[in-house]
Amino acid sequence: MEMMNELLEKYFRGETTLVEEAELKKYFASQDVNIEHEIYRALFVVFDQEKNETAKAPLKKVMVSQNRVKQLWIRTFSYSGIAAALILALWIQRPKQNDDYAVIHGRRIDSPEYAQQYAEKKMNDINMILKDGLKPMHRMEVVKQNLQLLNKISETQDKILEIEKTHTINN
Amino acid sequence: MESTQFNNQVLKHSDKLFRLAKSILRNGDAAQDAVQDLIVKLWEKRTVLDDVENMQAFTMRSMRNLCLDTIRQNKDEDELPVELEYVEPNPHQQVERKDLASLIRRLIDDLPELQRTIIRMRDVEEMEISEIAYITTLTENAVSVNLSRARQKIREQILNEQKRVEETVWK
Repeated sequence: MEMMNELLEKYFRGETTLVEEAELKKYFASQDVNIEHEIYRALFVVFDQEKNETAKAPLKKVMVSQNRVKQLWIRTFSYSGIAAALILALWIQRPKQNDDYAVIHGRRIDSPEYAQQYAEKKMNDINMILKDGLKPMHRMEVVKQNLQLLNKISETQDKILEIEKTHTINN
Repeated sequence: MESTQFNNQVLKHSDKLFRLAKSILRNGDAAQDAVQDLIVKLWEKRTVLDDVENMQAFTMRSMRNLCLDTIRQNKDEDELPVELEYVEPNPHQQVERKDLASLIRRLIDDLPELQRTIIRMRDVEEMEISEIAYITTLTENAVSVNLSRARQKIREQILNEQKRVEETVWK
């Protein structure tokens, strides 16, 4: 009893350690609380009740949206990869100096204009897919960085056009 | 920091963050929004989180700063004067505060923000004084002084309430 009095006084002076405070909490959770101390029981009950209060569900939504960002990343990289592969395929199968044709989907294309239009159309399709997919994520810096890949694609596209142009002039 | 690490190191504190936000903002829904905002902000800056030594203290400090910013932005809305004094409840409030536990909750909520944050971090979250000092950007001595004041105020008001009840009974 005397010891609890001292401990309580120490507690209200803000001088107790965490171990001593745990002792007080244990005391007030027991059935052996002295009548003189009963008035303080509710204080420790409140602390205990508040400790059990938890955040609600919306936090999960954050993580779901983060997963969506991750999926968008994967999609972005996938589309960028497809674009790069397409450009590479067109580059490898571009018409040679003395053999004026391109191959698209295994079909021989003799018209440089058609090949160019086909490449541009595919680039635009990819651009549209990426833009639509990333609309809700404009604020995400990471996604913005990814969009820079599109500039690289455009640069590559420009290079193809330049090569095509040189090729046409040479012919 | 990957999403798994983020879940393990940051999201595991979400209940504590919620309780801290609720204590400062004194509103469960606003606290939920604040926690969600903080989680999104931390996720966006997750690359710097790898360098954080004490994630609990870091997130709690960030949570408090975010809540204080929210209060500053909505000054007219709900922040009570810093040195609010206890006012004798009217009959309606007396019915509302029929049990001591709800009275104590109200008494803690009526403390100045710093004192109610400190008493809850210590008595509910069971944090070390050094950790509370980091979160509140105070010295350890200042934390102890504020803790003592908060506990003394609650004690005084509990004793006043007891006296009032006894007087009512004997009338």
